[in-house]
Amino acid sequence: MNCEDYREAISADPSFEDADHVSQCTDCREFRAEIMALDRKIEQALEIAVPEVSIFELPVRDSSRVVAMPTRRRTSRPAWFAMAASVLVAAVIGIRMFAGGIEYESLADEILAHMDHEPYALRVANRPVSDRRLQSVVPANVATLDHSAGLITYAQTCVINGKKIPHLVIQGRRGPVTVLLMPEEMVSETIPLNGDHIDGYILPVGSGSVAIIGERDETLELIKNSVVDSVTWDI
Amino acid sequence: MDSSSAESGRRRRFDRLVSGFYPDMFRYAAWLSRNREIAEDVCQEALLRAWKSLDSLREDGAAKQWLLTIVRRENARYFERKRLDTVDVDDLSAAQAAMLAEPADDEVDDLRKAIYGLDDDYREPLVLQVLMGFSTQEIADHMGLKQGAVLTRLHRARLKLKESMELKA
Repeated sequence: MNCEDYREAISADPSFEDADHVSQCTDCREFRAEIMALDRKIEQALEIAVPEVSIFELPVRDSSRVVAMPTRRRTSRPAWFAMAASVLVAAVIGIRMFAGGIEYESLADEILAHMDHEPYALRVANRPVSDRRLQSVVPANVATLDHSAGLITYAQTCVINGKKIPHLVIQGRRGPVTVLLMPEEMVSETIPLNGDHIDGYILPVGSGSVAIIGERDETLELIKNSVVDSVTWDI
Repeated sequence: MDSSSAESGRRRRFDRLVSGFYPDMFRYAAWLSRNREIAEDVCQEALLRAWKSLDSLREDGAAKQWLLTIVRRENARYFERKRLDTVDVDDLSAAQAAMLAEPADDEVDDLRKAIYGLDDDYREPLVLQVLMGFSTQEIADHMGLKQGAVLTRLHRARLKLKESMELKA
């Protein structure tokens, strides 16, 4: 191997070994040392800080939509019976899927269940979501929210009662506070929300409503005021 | 195993993989896009895709390469959708400039700027090799290139950086 080949190989892959050539060529030994030093610096330069991982809502595979198939067993019934049974099972699955899966007793139940599906949303964080993400999740005809409403650390489009809605998390005094903006979900009065260690309410806001949920001793009033002030749907 | 315990097992597996490899995913996305905000968006999309296709990952030992492949595809999709213009290093947005604002000594800082200024074709294999620890064959497989092409790109990338640093000195 000549010097040119060696230098090309070592600069393409610093782990390349050719002990014979290096032992005989001082220049290439120096070149190798330079490349190794450069690589250590490159590694430092590439090591940028990583933000805390924030995973938005992961689609939950709804187990209620899965109809358990009976254990297969030997049977003396004719083949047409098995086919008819298969069609029936498929029809049941289809009907349940089109019916929308889980039926909730109330909007409050669905909201509380929805919160359980997003463990990543409910964490104390100090890094705001980007303005771009906030704008993409909260359309201008729903609300004009910015970070003056509080430190918004999570923004995701979710589905409640079959409608897409912005789901936000704002950091409160005691921890994360969930805010759901529901422009098409009209309620006639404030509905309390009580879960394990959490409290909140669904507030009627014009032709829609806003759900705000935090830790049991959280002060929701300040967040409520700034969120409600930002709402742009018909009030 | 009933469906709910299978689902929670799936979720635990996903969480374990994400907690282990998210730093790699983010750094790779950041150096591909040269923008921290875009990298976060790309990683979010990649995580969602990874979740949906988790069952196709047979061995967790192959998870890093699998996740980085998803990041690469999501980054390409992002730029297809947005059709972003290429940027000049001297005219950066705040999110782009944040890539270069990491605390470092002067030499590393200069080198970071030089890497930032490398063509995508040179920067990506360098990141995969130095930061992700990929072999040149793995880089070739990952990028859909021949190993010879990868070696050439890596050689040129290092020579450009070396020249750049010599000029600064």
